[in-house]
Amino acid sequence: MKILEYLSTLDRRIIYLVLAIVVILPLIFPSIQRVRVMDPVGKLFAAIDAIPDEQILMLDFDYDPQTQPELEPMAVALLRHAFNRRIKVAVLSLYVQPLGLAKKALDQVAEEFNSQAKIRADSIVYGQDYVFLGWQPPPIVPLLGMGISIAEVYPRDYYGLRTDSLPMMHKVRNFNDVGIIVCVSGGNAPIWWVAYSQTRFGVAVGAGITSVYASELYQYFQSGQFSGLMIGMKGAAEYEETVASSLRVSGRRKATEALGSLNAAHLTIIIFIIIGNISFVARRRK
Amino acid sequence: MNITSDPWIWIGGLLTLCIFSFLYKDNPFYKFAEHLFVGVANGYFLTFTVHRVLGPNLFVPLFVQGRIWYVISLTVGMLYILRFVPRVSWLVRIPIAVTIGYYTGAVIPATIQADIIRQIQATILTPQNFQSWNAGSSGIIWSVILFVGVACTLSYFYFSREHKGVLGVTSKIGVIFIMVGFGAAFGYTVMARVSLLIGRFQFILGPWFGIIE
Amino acid sequence: MKRTLPLILVFIFGIMGIVPYYIPHGGYQTLDNMVRNDFLRILSAFAIVLGLGSLMKVHIDKIKKHRENWPYSYVLIIGFVVSGFIGLFGGIEGNGMLPTSIASFKFDIETLYLNIIVPLGSTMFALLAFFMASASYRAFRVRSLESALLLSAAFIVMLGVIPLGDRISPHLPTFAQWIMDIPNVASKRGITFGIALGGLATSLKVILGIERSWLGGKE
Repeated sequence: MKILEYLSTLDRRIIYLVLAIVVILPLIFPSIQRVRVMDPVGKLFAAIDAIPDEQILMLDFDYDPQTQPELEPMAVALLRHAFNRRIKVAVLSLYVQPLGLAKKALDQVAEEFNSQAKIRADSIVYGQDYVFLGWQPPPIVPLLGMGISIAEVYPRDYYGLRTDSLPMMHKVRNFNDVGIIVCVSGGNAPIWWVAYSQTRFGVAVGAGITSVYASELYQYFQSGQFSGLMIGMKGAAEYEETVASSLRVSGRRKATEALGSLNAAHLTIIIFIIIGNISFVARRRK
Repeated sequence: MNITSDPWIWIGGLLTLCIFSFLYKDNPFYKFAEHLFVGVANGYFLTFTVHRVLGPNLFVPLFVQGRIWYVISLTVGMLYILRFVPRVSWLVRIPIAVTIGYYTGAVIPATIQADIIRQIQATILTPQNFQSWNAGSSGIIWSVILFVGVACTLSYFYFSREHKGVLGVTSKIGVIFIMVGFGAAFGYTVMARVSLLIGRFQFILGPWFGIIE
Repeated sequence: MKRTLPLILVFIFGIMGIVPYYIPHGGYQTLDNMVRNDFLRILSAFAIVLGLGSLMKVHIDKIKKHRENWPYSYVLIIGFVVSGFIGLFGGIEGNGMLPTSIASFKFDIETLYLNIIVPLGSTMFALLAFFMASASYRAFRVRSLESALLLSAAFIVMLGVIPLGDRISPHLPTFAQWIMDIPNVASKRGITFGIALGGLATSLKVILGIERSWLGGKE
């Protein structure tokens, strides 16, 4: 019983230390974790894969540093998919904080493809294959305005170039030219795309969300308002797996690398809850 | 182990440790880092507001292209600044009224369509919904459970009558669904928080200390 | 005047927000687009300036009156002024009039973002993992049937979303998915209906001038 008494008064810093160790060790000594691709991610991949040549993929990268580890791997995997399949991409953010991370993901994946390109036609060119529209507030301006004219909402791109001067944008006027909008967000933004852009202009919406919002946002996938859905680190790992196995695209898979730590941490927290409850019951009996 | 010599990675790493120091207890390093974050984040915000919003959407059309009607937007926008002048501070209500008015108006059809009509369509018992599960004959059972769950959850939040009789039974079933829903939310929240911690350790062990790739 | 004019404006712009959804007439859509692009957008930019001004005012007051932790307000103000100066005059891509590098050492706004804002922002949220682990250990107690249900669902989901769960039993991820698909959607949809109806009622009250708390003050 002494051990139960000790456990019931365990210092919080010991709990912190245990958690830190179980997260760090699998990162230093990684093991291969296979991930099963579930229906929501499979549907998102299929929806993007089916974008016709005359339409583009619009990516709303709305993750800030606070949710970066979960959502950045999704952004990278989506870009790898699009660039590999030569789907033209327009990237934007509804908020200012995600801008730098959106640019980081774009630069990283464009560099990955360009460093492997053997001939000029293989490379990914800014303005022809992708554009970075940047940020225009408040969110309702792009959400509704792009249904009429993308160039009016974004007169200049992130780099300050005139949007209508970019070759890719000559044929892209509004949501009619967008195959699907995929919103990778740490908040509620995917619902806004559904509520404002989809209901008024009929555009398809997919989402990559932080797991905190999974429970709340899942109903929009069940109702068919989201064409597909990625949830948290696991969803990101599933998309990485799909891109790697279906398209043979190589590159670092940060979400898949994290699965070992995720295994250990989940198990630890389950054990914490069980021990906490055992010591609670023991104390109550006493 | 291959520790970086990049000064910016060192700055990022040390700032990371300043925040982690809060785990021991609140201290000056944490407070310093917290205030620095707010300061620099707002500097970033200001930069993009001026260069990418006010520049191309107001200053260029008004002062370069001579579109004089942008004076209206400029004038109404400037009313926000009068918030700091006590005698005329009420004028700030004008731009606030315009913004709140448009938002509350636009949200009405959006909510009716996305959060009510489409959600009802996905809940009611129709052959189309039975098939949407791709579960054969089980689809009917899943649809019925979903329908009962939504109805019972709603009944739990109906407070105009005492929860007795039929309402008592349905609200109790509603609680079961709500608890399972909250349990799922908790499970996913654990994944979210742990993922963020993994991300930080990937940075410390990777770019900073060079222990992992 | 001080209250009536804003109430009239909120009504007019409220109706302007609703109508384009139901009247997809080209002319009206163009007007609607102009309201958003040329008016709302600029107002929001000034609102941001107001927010930044208020933040500075609070911290300058704090320093003047030597309130608790006032020295840290210097850190905030200096951080804001320096990064704002670099961003405004150094340009977003480091192509402004202010040089943003010394030899190979860069200090443009993007570098500040990636090396100050990103580590600080993400570490602040990473702390939550520790607090959550501690709370799970100390506070997550099974005291009733309801809490047992909550805990069981949480365990199934936590195991179902990790590769280990798939190894324990291939049915675990499927069961976790089923929980998300049905009981979870049922409860969240019930709550969503309540929130949506409440939100609609509040929106109508604001547009019709019944709800006036947003005016602030009594005057």
